[in-house]
Amino acid sequence: MKHRTIIEPFRIKSVEPIGLSTEVERTEHLKEAHYNPFLLRSRYVIIDLMTDSGTSAMSAHQWAGMMEGDEAYAGSRSWERLLAEVQDLTGMAHVLPTHQGRAAERILYGHLGGLGKVFISNTHFDTTRANIEFTGAKAIDMPIVEGRDPTAKHPFKGNMDIGALDRLLKEHTGQVGAVILTVTNNSGGGQPVSMANAEGVAGICKRHGVPFLLDCCRIAENSWFVKHREADKERGSYRQIAQRMFSLADGAVMSAKKDALVNMGGFLALRDGTLAEACTNLLIITEGFTTYGGLSGRDMEALAIGLQEVFDPHYLDYRIRSTTFLGEKLHALGVPLMRPIGGHAVYIDAKALYPHIPPSLYPGQALVCELYRLGGIRSVEIGSVMFGTYLPDGSLEPSAMELVRLAIPRRVYTQSHMEYVAETFEEILRTREQVTGFRIIKEPRFLRHFTAHFEPV
Amino acid sequence: MNKTSWAEPFKIKMVEPLAITTREQRMSAVAKAGYNTFLLPSELVYIDLLTDSGTSAMSDRQWAGLMLGDEAYAGSRNYYHLEDAVKRYYGYQYLVPTHQGRGAENILSRILIKPGDIVPGNMYFTTTKLHQELAGGTFVDIIVDEAHDTTSNFPFKGNVDLAKLERVIGEHGAERIPYVSIATTVNMAGGQPISLANLRALRDLTGRHGIRIIHDMTRVAENAFMIQQLEGGQGGRSVAEIVLEICSLTDGATMSAKKDALVNIGGFLATNEWEVFEEARNMVVVYEGLHTYGGLAGRDMEAMAIGIQESVQDDHIRARVGQVFYLGKKLLEMGIPIVRPVGTHGIFLDARAFLPHLPQTAFPAQALAAELYIDSGVRAMERGIVSAGRDKNTGDHCRPELELVRLTIPRRVYTQAHMDVVAESVQRVHERRNAITGLRMTYEPRYLRFFQARFEPLTP
Repeated sequence: MKHRTIIEPFRIKSVEPIGLSTEVERTEHLKEAHYNPFLLRSRYVIIDLMTDSGTSAMSAHQWAGMMEGDEAYAGSRSWERLLAEVQDLTGMAHVLPTHQGRAAERILYGHLGGLGKVFISNTHFDTTRANIEFTGAKAIDMPIVEGRDPTAKHPFKGNMDIGALDRLLKEHTGQVGAVILTVTNNSGGGQPVSMANAEGVAGICKRHGVPFLLDCCRIAENSWFVKHREADKERGSYRQIAQRMFSLADGAVMSAKKDALVNMGGFLALRDGTLAEACTNLLIITEGFTTYGGLSGRDMEALAIGLQEVFDPHYLDYRIRSTTFLGEKLHALGVPLMRPIGGHAVYIDAKALYPHIPPSLYPGQALVCELYRLGGIRSVEIGSVMFGTYLPDGSLEPSAMELVRLAIPRRVYTQSHMEYVAETFEEILRTREQVTGFRIIKEPRFLRHFTAHFEPV
Repeated sequence: MNKTSWAEPFKIKMVEPLAITTREQRMSAVAKAGYNTFLLPSELVYIDLLTDSGTSAMSDRQWAGLMLGDEAYAGSRNYYHLEDAVKRYYGYQYLVPTHQGRGAENILSRILIKPGDIVPGNMYFTTTKLHQELAGGTFVDIIVDEAHDTTSNFPFKGNVDLAKLERVIGEHGAERIPYVSIATTVNMAGGQPISLANLRALRDLTGRHGIRIIHDMTRVAENAFMIQQLEGGQGGRSVAEIVLEICSLTDGATMSAKKDALVNIGGFLATNEWEVFEEARNMVVVYEGLHTYGGLAGRDMEAMAIGIQESVQDDHIRARVGQVFYLGKKLLEMGIPIVRPVGTHGIFLDARAFLPHLPQTAFPAQALAAELYIDSGVRAMERGIVSAGRDKNTGDHCRPELELVRLTIPRRVYTQAHMDVVAESVQRVHERRNAITGLRMTYEPRYLRFFQARFEPLTP
């Protein structure tokens, strides 16, 4: 018999209790957190869909690896194991371990960036953009047109606009620090990038002599899409597909907190020895020695094992199908969302859900607060709070889309948790017209979404 | 009964096998590593005394804490536990966790130091000094002269020479000095403590000029233990009480929790100033992670919170320092030249006295560390001319007075028998010291060269 039900290819070995709360309590918690879920204590959260980063449940094998961590400061055998694993996966000789992905980005973009430089990506994620702009360089997003339209149907909405890239590279000759393909494209809805697109980008970069980098934190999930949607082209294993994509790039940054199924870790992989040496100097200053880079030995051990596990076809089937499960359920209820559903998250279109709230009053923030108040569900705004900028006259230049991301941690929540989320959305749809927007009353200079304070209008 | 032994206040719960290698294997390994012990693979090391940083054995409670990690991106309960521990045991008001100590140094230096500023301190430390310089500051050493004399038995070689500080203030003006950097204990001086009386006097002096004291507190409990043991009037107080007083005499701190706090990864920045905290909280997101995890897994914050509590217990510190003193006493009895008095986290061999036939430019400490590895598989670290780097103005080697090899003892990891092996190996190398030739540097990185520099032996 062929089953329609996709079951988890694992059983649960260790559990963590969830503290339940009432709507009245949550209303109070929300107020105390200044209507910013980043400032909520996690023990007041029932289902935490804020991020899939660092929130995975590790396997028994990974926990066993934790016990085998070699904590030597220099030349740890856990490092040797990780090095071999990353070299095999990426085909790149030089690997720099970092405490997490943003440190790898900061080191690489700090070296390649600077005033007058330009970085082009399918879409820069928030910390990536901050790292680039921090050096004085400019970050340009160049997704295909379909990638900017929440309702457009396209199998690879994460693709980069190759025609526009070619024009940009001509326009900015000598100024481009790097072209970065983020797989899958997180800010654009967790949408995949096709192998053909990666090949096209690599070819153009080569012609222009510009480094081509992969932000590969969800490359296993991307490989699933390549295999299933670019089927005439790809017949290898998920791992081979990933290896093929790596072979196109000059370097890669990875936040291992996503597809490497760990709670902490990242790396930078490079082909060029001279570039690697320059980056190594920066690594030692701010991260740690070359053979641990700010990670404990046990975390490197868990990372090496996680990079193996994530390419298991049964795991990837479960992972992609369970995200789709939630997405399709919400779609059936009439919740406006990004389709097709991405790999790691469901992105709700808050602009369409709350058409009466203008972008200047942050409809995404309104939905994030409603989800917490009604269900204790924590999500994250990916819209004008995260990406909006102020014009010289002080008015807000809104983001192109007002999205709310429900990121699904790997191997953590069950189908009944997802049904609970869907049920909360039924109430959200019923009460959508009563919801009002928010005003920012306090914000830092950069990455404001993490610490800003809000008040309801 | 008058107890002189320092038996450990724990029993062993989990072990890790050690590799035994032959002399031939080690000779080939050290050559492959460019005679730099940092570049040796750890599986070819028998007793690893490279560092006490991140190498501690955690307690069963800490391992249990690892299982209680709350890996939420924001507002993890382990963060609040850590915040409580820092308040309770160190007394600082505001906490920003970082993945390790240098992460905190990076952020604090960027916040407090303006280009052209002067940062006085009780001797430099490699990463600390570099972050001060990268932020545009210049480090000025204000440690007492005794610290540079390896044979002086002065008990508080970590003390600040207040007259030196007054001269620095007179010369540059208090407004050019964002803070005085105080390390407990002073690593580069051989793990030497600062006295409470000296710190109190320093507080008075800096208070009069409105200058902050920033506390590099990575081994504060060990420093407090030395105060308890050696400083008049302090014998009746607990280590925990003294730790709190030390912290109360300072305005903020950077901590590499990989030392005193008994964890394998972790650090933090702490301050009593709201404005510094706010700025640090914004900056940590760029460099480390959101301010409620700062680049650490939840479980590692939990292990740190528990480790902080364990680290200030008198019984723990007594055994910890007792083990270091055991090895030191043994080496002294053998007539080995070491920095005296023995420091709290390791033994520092005086390579100048050990190898008097070598000039400093032949890297005697580097050569001695390599020789020790070849003899027994014991891995030590150079703390001399290689570590000191080059003068940023002249480009010449900085030539520190101290040319040392550090045998750092990890916490709760090795036994008394391991210490005996180390002592015997040092003795064997000492006996054949005249056969040791120096080294030549064949590769030199730009920053923190000691980590990755490569050498080859000079032919005799």
